[in-house]
Amino acid sequence: MDKKTLHLTVITLVICVGVIVFYVNYQSFWQPQKYLVTIAVSKTPLSTPFYVAKAIDAFDGTCVNVKFDEVIGGQKAFAKVMDGEADFGTSSDSVIAFQSLANKDFVTHGMFVQSDNDVKLITRPSVQITSALKLKGKRIGVTKGTASEYFLSILLALEGLTTEDVQLFHFKPDELVHSFSDNKIDAFVPWEPFAFNSTKLLDKQIKIHDTKSLNTLSFNLVSLIADKELVEKAKCVIEGLTLAIDYIASHPEKAKRIVINELKLSTEFIEWVWPDYIFKLSLNQALILSIKSQAIWAVQTKMTEHNDIPNIENFIDSRAMLQVDPGAVNIPL
Amino acid sequence: MMNGSLSQRIYFFTLSCCVLFATILGSVIWSSQTVELAFARDSYAQQVDNQTNSLKQLVISDNIYSSSYSVSHWQSLQKKLTRLLKSSPKLTPSQQTVQNSIKSQNENLKRLFAQITKNKLKNASAAIKVHLKARLMMQLEAIRSDSLQLSSIAHTDIHNTIRHEAFFIISVSGVSIVALLFGSFTLMHIVRKSLDEVKLAFQQNHSGHFQKIHLSHPSEEFDSIVKAFNGMNDKLSETTVSLAVMKKVVEERTQVLEQLSNTDPLTKVANRRALFERASMEFSRAIRSKNKLTLLLLDCDFFKRINDEFGHLFGDELLIHICNICGQEIRDIDFLARYGGEEFIIILPNCDIKGGIETANRIQHSLACHCIAMKDKEICVTLSIGVCMLSEQHKDLEQLINDTDKAMYQAKENGRNRIEVLTPPNFH
Repeated sequence: MDKKTLHLTVITLVICVGVIVFYVNYQSFWQPQKYLVTIAVSKTPLSTPFYVAKAIDAFDGTCVNVKFDEVIGGQKAFAKVMDGEADFGTSSDSVIAFQSLANKDFVTHGMFVQSDNDVKLITRPSVQITSALKLKGKRIGVTKGTASEYFLSILLALEGLTTEDVQLFHFKPDELVHSFSDNKIDAFVPWEPFAFNSTKLLDKQIKIHDTKSLNTLSFNLVSLIADKELVEKAKCVIEGLTLAIDYIASHPEKAKRIVINELKLSTEFIEWVWPDYIFKLSLNQALILSIKSQAIWAVQTKMTEHNDIPNIENFIDSRAMLQVDPGAVNIPL
Repeated sequence: MMNGSLSQRIYFFTLSCCVLFATILGSVIWSSQTVELAFARDSYAQQVDNQTNSLKQLVISDNIYSSSYSVSHWQSLQKKLTRLLKSSPKLTPSQQTVQNSIKSQNENLKRLFAQITKNKLKNASAAIKVHLKARLMMQLEAIRSDSLQLSSIAHTDIHNTIRHEAFFIISVSGVSIVALLFGSFTLMHIVRKSLDEVKLAFQQNHSGHFQKIHLSHPSEEFDSIVKAFNGMNDKLSETTVSLAVMKKVVEERTQVLEQLSNTDPLTKVANRRALFERASMEFSRAIRSKNKLTLLLLDCDFFKRINDEFGHLFGDELLIHICNICGQEIRDIDFLARYGGEEFIIILPNCDIKGGIETANRIQHSLACHCIAMKDKEICVTLSIGVCMLSEQHKDLEQLINDTDKAMYQAKENGRNRIEVLTPPNFH
């Protein structure tokens, strides 16, 4: 090899190394300032995308440093957002429906998971509830202002009943099973993982009714009405969630393992709920319709003191989602 | 590679071009297939969308709670949708997530519709009927939204594939062009440089500087030319050296030959041929420059008798002896030659009669002093010498020699061992 070739080789090598170094550090070169955001995450496997995102460091490449504030139930998460204790929260569409009736100053940035079997009706086998009709006059435990209450009203309505035809008891989600075992109630409508916990706790003493598809529950990213900065933060959170959801699709077993470790759940439980879940980021007309129908239902069944159905589109903010995945946004503008 | 042959370089070059072309072709085929697949996915998404819209239309236009409502129409459409969902093309992971969602939504749709049409909800209130119909619509809307998302992903894929392909083709072509330019320029440079070096060597050869070619860019092809050239050059330089030597040798030989042809083999003095050559030269010169020129003609007295008495060998020796004596007694510019038999002529340029007589005297005296020994016996010989100087009467050399000859005969006739001068009135 002569001197010229040596020089050429060295120059080429240096350029290659430079390009690689630049490419590897590209993101840090252009990294805008990092925001610290707190997300109130409901402690349920429905929040899997958040746990996975954290575990695979999906937020590292985005503009946010994420801190989780784990809470029980989407309602609590929503409250944290409204109180300003958290920047974002994970709430079900039922919670959004109830809160929109109260005209709270919040917006939904996107839906990240759906389950068509999250809320369940649990009764005593001995009472022999074969149809919703037989719930008439029974003591039923629900969590007020959540999917639990909404779901019960639907079940009753199918047989022409209302919540006034039963004795309604309001409990926090983790208290339902104890009230049931203490015989304070005849039936209760919990969501996961409380339904599963009940089977573990009471085993043969309970009967879980097949209500799959009757209610679709979705979990959504909510925040206060967003200014430009908050939209930017939401965009970054959604970017992290996109990576996490792709990871869940491509590595379901690893994703399950992450949730099991984070929530101290049993493998059995995850296997129990997983088939009902659809992890997917979207912000579409179906969500609006779902929220709207639940809001209308809540008004009609007098679950709420509000009577006016607000314009649900006002509670949707598609700006962040449009920046990350415009194809996932399908709402009339 | 740098020291390889040019043809190797060209092969490598051609091969690289082929590889690059194949890469581009492969990527075009790959991307066209990807785009085709993406189009198939898009078309599938459109079909799902259309099918869902038909179902939506059905929910809007028909009263599903009416007692006369027939579920068969819905069911056939629903079956079509289910079949369509099963016949999906191969999907990307992100599309598969959406597809799973659609399938799940479709199951929900089936269950919900079954729930609604079961007993036509005879106990239910109008509110729940409206609510459930809304949920049915929502379910359909969810499928539609998902199919739109599928389509959107397909569009993004098509867009990205085309963009990546364009970028790939542009970058590969760019690199190829740079590589091709670099390669061809290098090749051209090497060929031109090597040709120049060979040309220069030829020119130098022409001007007699036999130098070896040293290629600054060695290559097999030029190396073979250089080897042949250098080999030829070596031989040429060898041959050319012998030519110079040969010239010298020939000159030497020529000189020797000339000397031989001009020399009398016995006495080693000039022969008759050389005599006439030199004599005519001196004659012309003397005429031209009006200088004096004198000739001596010497003849050994009684040579025949000595020959008979002592033999030819002694006679020969005697002749050599006479020549030696004469050689010693004449000037450098004088010329001694054997005229024939025992006769010799001495040309004396720039010399008058007096000088000629003096020279003749010196020779006779020296010969008298140096007798030749023969079997303990000293044998002395004498010379009859004729002297003649060039005069205006002499028109040519012959006349001068004849006159000198006459003088010598006079010396013989007047008793030998003497010197006779031919003066003008006695000239021919």
